[in-house]
Amino acid sequence: MPIVLEKLSHVYKSGPHTSHALRDVDLTINDGELLALIGHTGSGKSTLAQHLNGLLQPTSGHVLLDGQDINGKDSSRRALRFRVGLVFQYPEHQLFEETVYKDIAFGPKNMGLKEEEIDARVREAMAIVGLDFSEISKRSPFELSGGQMRRAALAGVLAMKPQVLVLDEPTAGLDPRARDFLLEDVRRLNRAGTTVVLISHAMDDVAKLATRVAVLEKGALVMDGSPLEVFSRHERLGAMGLDVPQGFRLARLLREKGFPVSDRCLLEDLAGELADLIKGGSGHAA
Amino acid sequence: MLRDITLGQYYPVDSPVHRLDPRAKILLAFLYIIGVFLVKDLFMYLPVLLYLAMATWLARLPFPMMAKSLKPMRILIVFTFILNLFFGTGSRELLRLGSIVIWEEGLLNALHFTFRLILLVTGSSILTLTTPPVTLTDGLERLASPLRVIRFPAHEMAMMMTIALRFIPTLTEEADKIMKAQTARGADFETGNLMARARAMIPLLVPLFISAFRRAGDLAMAMEARCYRGGEGRTRLHVLKFSRRDLIAFLSMAGLFIILLLPGILK
Ligand SMILES: Nc1ncnc2c1ncn2[C@@H]1O[C@H](COP(=O)(O)OP(=O)(O)OP(=O)(O)O)[C@@H](O)[C@H]1O
Ligand SMILES: [Mg+2]
Repeated sequence: MPIVLEKLSHVYKSGPHTSHALRDVDLTINDGELLALIGHTGSGKSTLAQHLNGLLQPTSGHVLLDGQDINGKDSSRRALRFRVGLVFQYPEHQLFEETVYKDIAFGPKNMGLKEEEIDARVREAMAIVGLDFSEISKRSPFELSGGQMRRAALAGVLAMKPQVLVLDEPTAGLDPRARDFLLEDVRRLNRAGTTVVLISHAMDDVAKLATRVAVLEKGALVMDGSPLEVFSRHERLGAMGLDVPQGFRLARLLREKGFPVSDRCLLEDLAGELADLIKGGSGHAA
Repeated sequence: MLRDITLGQYYPVDSPVHRLDPRAKILLAFLYIIGVFLVKDLFMYLPVLLYLAMATWLARLPFPMMAKSLKPMRILIVFTFILNLFFGTGSRELLRLGSIVIWEEGLLNALHFTFRLILLVTGSSILTLTTPPVTLTDGLERLASPLRVIRFPAHEMAMMMTIALRFIPTLTEEADKIMKAQTARGADFETGNLMARARAMIPLLVPLFISAFRRAGDLAMAMEARCYRGGEGRTRLHVLKFSRRDLIAFLSMAGLFIILLLPGILK
């Protein structure tokens, strides 16, 4: 079930201020892809995310799911929210129950599932995010570490088994290990068939995971393509205040110094190519 | 969703009224209220209304918004009008509908009350619309500081109000965010009976309180770290000063008072 955004615009109004958070965005999110949404602070990424499950209504334009306008009168927004799971920035701030178990069960319970089904889903979701059921499920969510809280909050959304998962800066404020864990979870979910929309400022994470990258600037969609396509326009990205992945930067620097390496997003790939080059070069000289 | 709650309803444009000294504005609002109560003849509400319109225009406030500030009061206004109309007694009968009598005095009273309410609400909303809450409390503190001799904690009260006001938008924003996050998990805040709705608030209130306490702790720490010790001997960054503009404003108010008091004097 692809999500299609048609000429989506959103204007926030408060008093005399209006801010155009989104301007005529046309974007199709295909099944099974891992789309990274990048853009400078205030470019409208979070606003776009909230349109994907009907939390915000467009000022103009449409959001189509399976060809159906989600804001049309005969669509149930509540049912939609179980299909498109949205994990907000700092999701650990939404934890509220006495135990981790109850908190994760909140979503499935709202879906009206049976007790056994809820139990199965909580266990499964905890397993996906790597929280030990016997150790953690009976504890208060507020006793967990920051990284664990983040994962518990993610599990709360995963337990609804959404077909599309939207993550708003899921790694912000996590230490490198917790970040790698979380990204690995996301990659696994995507491999298992969940469509993922990942909002991130960390270009290395984007390079590692994304199959496609969309760039927002001041509410308009300015680029859309494979990571390599998007990052090769690094000058334009730089003008928007965006970075490129480290692998990409290093490849450029190496080429300036005369190494004929190709553009790579990942340091690992680049290292491989460089190793071959050096080995091949020394072999030749010998 | 929650952004519609505007307690600090400051309307941020630049205008001569916005730039008035907050103390002057508070005193002017006070005088204006007295002025409204001085009116004895219905037609004398006209100059008050004109004064209000002039202030609104000078403050660059949209008139529709002023009308909207009456919206929460509309039930009260209608209610007082009806109450005064039907339950007053007097000497001159105006209309008789079976056992219900409408007296002329009743009608006059009802009209007076309605006009007063409308003028008071819109008039005082000019004060809050043109003055940022923090500036307002600053003005209040300065006006109340002479009361320190009778041990009235003017500074502490003002600081408490400032902090409370400062946190209203932060907390509504936070509440909005948490509400959205729980809605995304299928929470339903809008339907169901009273009990169900009260229970539905738990996923909103618990995180909100936790965040409020965290913020309060952070703020206390930050204030300590900057050596806050209460109002004693504290100097100010923005020193309030009366200017010509304030004088003109007071003169215009004096003008209004002369017009309002003139009929009584001439009689
Ligand atoms: N609730 C709101 N009310 C008014 N304006 C808002 C609101 N939320 C966002 N905006 C404005 O809309 C624009 C886009 O905001 P948005 O949160 O979508 O940006 P973002 O790309 O997610 O930024 P960040 O990277 O900082 O999270 C910004 O200019 C912001 O000031
Ligand atoms: Mg954001």
